[in-house]
Amino acid sequence: MKESSSGMHTPFSATLIDRHDLSADTALFRVAPQASALETLSRFVPGQFVQLSVPGAGEIPISPADLPGADGTLELCVRRVGHVTEFLHNLPAGARLGLRGPFGTGFPVRQMAGHPVLLLAGGLGIAPLRSLLFHLLRNSADYGEITLMYGARQPKVMLFREELSALAARGGLRLYLTVDFAPQEPAGAFSCAVGLLPDLLKGFSFDAPESYVAVCGPPALYRCLTEELMGAGVDARRILFSLERRMRCGIGRCCHCAIGQKLCCADGPVFSLDELQQIPEAL
Amino acid sequence: MEKRFLNQTRLGEFLETLRLFGELHAPTVSDQGVAAFAALSDSSALRLDYQRTLIPPKKYLIPFREELLHYGDGTYRQTRTDAPDIVLFGLHPCDLEGIAYLDLVFLGDRPDPCYAARRAGLTLIGISCEPDDFCFCNDSLRSAACDLFLTAREGGFQLAVLSARGEEIAAAARKLLSRGEALPQPGRTPSPITPQDPQLRFSDHPLWGKFAQRCVSCGACSVCCPTCYCFDVREYPALAGGGSRLREWDNCLFVTHGEVAGANFRATRLDRLRYRFLHKYCGFSPLDGMTSCVGCGRCKKVCPVGIDLRELLDTSPDAAAALP
Repeated sequence: MKESSSGMHTPFSATLIDRHDLSADTALFRVAPQASALETLSRFVPGQFVQLSVPGAGEIPISPADLPGADGTLELCVRRVGHVTEFLHNLPAGARLGLRGPFGTGFPVRQMAGHPVLLLAGGLGIAPLRSLLFHLLRNSADYGEITLMYGARQPKVMLFREELSALAARGGLRLYLTVDFAPQEPAGAFSCAVGLLPDLLKGFSFDAPESYVAVCGPPALYRCLTEELMGAGVDARRILFSLERRMRCGIGRCCHCAIGQKLCCADGPVFSLDELQQIPEAL
Repeated sequence: MEKRFLNQTRLGEFLETLRLFGELHAPTVSDQGVAAFAALSDSSALRLDYQRTLIPPKKYLIPFREELLHYGDGTYRQTRTDAPDIVLFGLHPCDLEGIAYLDLVFLGDRPDPCYAARRAGLTLIGISCEPDDFCFCNDSLRSAACDLFLTAREGGFQLAVLSARGEEIAAAARKLLSRGEALPQPGRTPSPITPQDPQLRFSDHPLWGKFAQRCVSCGACSVCCPTCYCFDVREYPALAGGGSRLREWDNCLFVTHGEVAGANFRATRLDRLRYRFLHKYCGFSPLDGMTSCVGCGRCKKVCPVGIDLRELLDTSPDAAAALP
């Protein structure tokens, strides 16, 4: 049937290559799609999502943590938190999966060219921003100063921290890490600020009127950051929020991800604050 | 002049002609006394005097539960949609407009394969109606969103042919038809309700609070709405290996509808009630601005606590401001 592998309604086949544990409940899964999916998946823009199928469990929207590799390999950062993710975390390498997409709007990487970019990640929100970060760093000549502020609950759940530190050490990335609280750790194990992201932002000087700001994190984070960012003088059209809803179909039909009169899967998941300000239930 | 008049006495033969084009379904009354579209095995079961069926004809296009995909050997495959040719006879204009709206949703951008297969097998024959107290259409007694439309006249029905399939049916039934007065072709019926000030009506209008105090989130208004289509997707493994992915009707009045990890964006009944009607009357991306209410009156008829949205929609901005 012609629909059998379009990746629109019927998932492409994919194979789990391996996994790399990032914390007690979160891992980075590398997934290889079938060869015929490569062209479709290569259209991925950071901030878009794919629908990952775990046979027998169901389908979940995941925003890839990096752009697809030359061989089409996707990196999906997934926390064990529900029915489907529990199944996924128990799968061995070589297991068969399904992929649809990419769906939704990504970050407006073309419009962002020439501007400084501030990325604000809270918790697992680092995953979608990591693909944007990699895009920016690989094309750093096209962008202004790149800054990442990343807040996690505590050091042991801070994801990708060695990788991010290494990127910052190479230059080209200003990195600020913060944790809500820091239990006693062996001396020299890890050091970062203690406090919430909005607090970190308070003491930060940047070219606010020119900057694009990309934010991804838990719902509470958006509400806290809105005031800080607007107060700093960032244009609401350049404050980009990646929102999370339970997208079932991914193609603007099931209505599960509705935000006011918009659909997170089709009109988002990346929205500018300007678009969201009129929608009471958005943030 | 074309022969387009069907005498009441030839209706039985006309129904038999329709059976040549597919399985005939029409308004009937179930054993429990509920008006329902069902297969018309015996033409005497036809109830053309019905006001509205409990479940709208959307059930022919979006079954309550259907398998979308099945998987085995590590691959998902599309389930072949069982879509027999069905002639749906006796649809009121509101239900025809409801199907026309669903067509926009499911056949527009990225057509849904299951819906498309069912829709291709469906022949729609509309009939004029007499609105009752629950109806709130604009007396839109005719609709062009069908293959054939029958307008009741003295002693029979005047036919309007509205598609190539309608033409085929009229040709097959030509011996049953006689000359009659020509009626202008029905046009698309305008939406019955246009909230002039959505910002007022759908923000903090005090009537929402009054409705929300009574609403029990039963979801009946959504189940019986001819244009409510939102669905959930579930996956079930089979004991023998493989499994299937299903979609089922869902309901935005249920508390689970707005849940996300760690939060619910529509946690209160007021939020959900208002959300449903915002979608219904102000539209939804990509049909933003398009009212999908067709005025069939089912939601008002089935609501166990008597919520009548017309109270809100009829409230003028000035009167709303004066509400306590």
